[in-house]
Amino acid sequence: MSFQLTIEPTGEVVEVEEGQSLLDACLRAGIYLPYACNHGLCGTCKVQVVEGEIEHNEASSFALMDLERSEGKCLACVATLSSDCVIEADVEEEPDAQHHLVQDLTARVVRLADLTPTVKGVWLELPAPGLSFQAGQYVNVSVPGVAGPRAFSIASAPSSPTLLELNVRKVDGGAATTYLHEQVQVGDTLAISGPLGRFFVRESAHLPMIFLAGGSGVSSPKSMILDLLERGNTQPITLVYGARNRDELYDHDLFESLAAAHANFRYVPVLGEASADWIGLTGMTHDAANEVFAKRFSEHKAYLCGPPLMIEACISALMQGRLFERDIYTEKFLSAADGAEGLARSPLFRRL
Amino acid sequence: MAEKKLGLKEKYQLMTRGLDWETTYQPMDKVFPYDKYEGIKIKDWDKWEDPFRLTMDAYWKYQAEKERKLYAILDSFSQNNGQLNISDARYLTALKIWMQGITPAEYNSHRGFCMVGRQFRGAGARVACQMQALDELRHAQTQIHAFSHYNKHFGGFHQAMHMRDRAWYLSIPKSFFEDAMTAGPFEFVTSISFAFEYVLTNLLFMPFVSGAAYNGDMATTTFGFSAQSDESRHMTLGLEVVKFVLEQHEDNVPIMQRYIDKWFWRGYRLLALVGVMMDYMLPRKVMSWAEAWGIYWEENGTALFNDLARYGIKPPKYHEIATAEKNHITHQAWAVFYTACPATGFHAWLPQEYELDWLSEKYGSTFDRYYRPRFAEFARIEREGGRFYTNRLPLVCQTCQVPDFFTEVDNPMKQSIRQYEWQGMKYNFCSDGCRDIFAHEPEKFCQAYIPPQQIYQGNAGGARTLPEYAAWLKCEFGKDSGEYYTSEDYARWKAMHGGNDTTPSSAAA
Repeated sequence: MSFQLTIEPTGEVVEVEEGQSLLDACLRAGIYLPYACNHGLCGTCKVQVVEGEIEHNEASSFALMDLERSEGKCLACVATLSSDCVIEADVEEEPDAQHHLVQDLTARVVRLADLTPTVKGVWLELPAPGLSFQAGQYVNVSVPGVAGPRAFSIASAPSSPTLLELNVRKVDGGAATTYLHEQVQVGDTLAISGPLGRFFVRESAHLPMIFLAGGSGVSSPKSMILDLLERGNTQPITLVYGARNRDELYDHDLFESLAAAHANFRYVPVLGEASADWIGLTGMTHDAANEVFAKRFSEHKAYLCGPPLMIEACISALMQGRLFERDIYTEKFLSAADGAEGLARSPLFRRL
Repeated sequence: MAEKKLGLKEKYQLMTRGLDWETTYQPMDKVFPYDKYEGIKIKDWDKWEDPFRLTMDAYWKYQAEKERKLYAILDSFSQNNGQLNISDARYLTALKIWMQGITPAEYNSHRGFCMVGRQFRGAGARVACQMQALDELRHAQTQIHAFSHYNKHFGGFHQAMHMRDRAWYLSIPKSFFEDAMTAGPFEFVTSISFAFEYVLTNLLFMPFVSGAAYNGDMATTTFGFSAQSDESRHMTLGLEVVKFVLEQHEDNVPIMQRYIDKWFWRGYRLLALVGVMMDYMLPRKVMSWAEAWGIYWEENGTALFNDLARYGIKPPKYHEIATAEKNHITHQAWAVFYTACPATGFHAWLPQEYELDWLSEKYGSTFDRYYRPRFAEFARIEREGGRFYTNRLPLVCQTCQVPDFFTEVDNPMKQSIRQYEWQGMKYNFCSDGCRDIFAHEPEKFCQAYIPPQQIYQGNAGGARTLPEYAAWLKCEFGKDSGEYYTSEDYARWKAMHGGNDTTPSSAAA
């Protein structure tokens, strides 16, 4: 048994299981509500119930006053739902977020290509009218014989809703990615659902953009950049794209030709290990960003996409170069092999 | 399409925006004369994000209801003789030290926030400081009310404000807060809101309130619940202050690093009083000081400073010394309290057998080797009819004002003493941390009022012995101070229980 929770003012809807706290459901759905103690004592996560029935459970009578209960307030960290509900919470309004319906679709594999020794390009055809999505979002792909779907960012632009490009990095021992690398054939069908995720460009800020991508993490930025350039965005756009070596750097020619065709787009590839004939930068993604921006990032919006260690190094570089949380957006590419959950965080940052 | 709803943040901004103005009769720098001299650069006060969007109207309503609830419980506690339900009257030493040392500090914190609430030129920061100033005043008042019932039955609760300006052990919290209050407004909020209310608060508040709950003290436990929703606001303010200042200008980073280094160390030294409460004063134990340090500093502090590293902030200087000392300081401090308690407003005692065993278990690497033999020797003296009291005053650190019972981290048999010469005078310190703090501001710390020196100079009512000194504190030997098991408190506690000794025999609640 589960209930639907609608969160005002954004209007997002999340499923809440019986016995699950509102806070837990929101955080799992990627919606940040302010909170602190997480057991009904401090009152930081207080929200207004606009419609529906809730249970207060363990909310302390000092953290949630009687007068507040009668006004319909509750503590999201302990409250559970007894019906579908609407709450009003302290969530950030995102003027640039598009709301696309999540669909379950059957996709046909129409093209496969080895982009690098470890990354496979998979092109999926969808029945018309296709999937409308916002550049930066991902789809869940169900792979035959593998329990649970896997998330892959859409690398193609939203202007082609019936043909999606995915970039699949082979994870050692990963059943789903191994299947997509070794077994899937052109003509096979795959069940997908999407679009999902809240990684998108904040165009209304009217600020120059920095995309920092590592490995197959370039897929979302590619979709976002293609979309921006197709629609004639004139803000300066920089893509710093890090790969282990030249063999792992893909779509290099595409980005070079985009840079040649668009004066506002700058392309900075960087290799961890370069051969003698490489004329570009060598090192880590954040080192390259520091070099091309002279360690000064203020007055930009930055979008980070790639493995957790790369993201972490880039966040530090951006902050020490005077760009802070309100202007940094990330999409972490997690797999079991990354082991990134171990790094304990404090409440200092909300999203990063 | 339905009209778009405003977010709570936007609503609050619309309601509160524009209430401030640029002064024209006088330049802003004259209206706000103190928020620039520390060197902190603020480019845009509008970037201040209100950490809690509370209106005055809502604040009064909430606090009024909270107080109704708190006072209903305090009344029933007092009418039902709640003092009979505590674990043991020894527990009250923890409350007495809190009442004498921390409650006046809450009041000073109120004064400090009133001052900085006047000094910041950003209205958002001023409002946050105003609310916290009111909270701190309420905490001082409600603590006094929660403890006042015990004052009817036991010694040591009757003269907290008088003692706070005189007692040697109370100069530790007093000097901490007065150092903060005489600093610039940014240093004050960093010291109180960040270092004290965020980084170290769990080490202060959690052991105190849980200690009250474990030891049957309903009045203090309820005070704790009533304060917790305020404390969470204070913690949020501490984080917001640090983020705001660090993001405003890169030149602020080294200044904030120095404040964090200084106030971590000062806060840590102050917490020695809390550590000794956890390990020695609570008859029913919550957790050991070393365990609390492990969770609240080594784990949570590491996570916080991992995040702060993104701004270029390093973990506080000497934090590894604090961690290395965790298995020592409480045992050293209790030996000082045990031997010097005639000169205080509380009682001390030798740990019971179950407590010695608990300490041996919690401090396997140090207690049996260094500290249990010392308590065994004190016990031998007691068995032979004596009681070891010290007859001289301790050397007190010029910065933290803690008696220098600390030892070298690599040699627990050697006292840790540091010296620094300034303008022909020699000053003594307990540690490198305290010496560094002095060396940065010698003009400030050379003025510290050090109780033992003042006593020897005859400035404590001419007291020449510890009981005479206690009398100058308005404390009476045997009634308010000295050994617990020969005190009036103990006699009264036994009388309340039909003449039986009800000292617990296990650490479990």
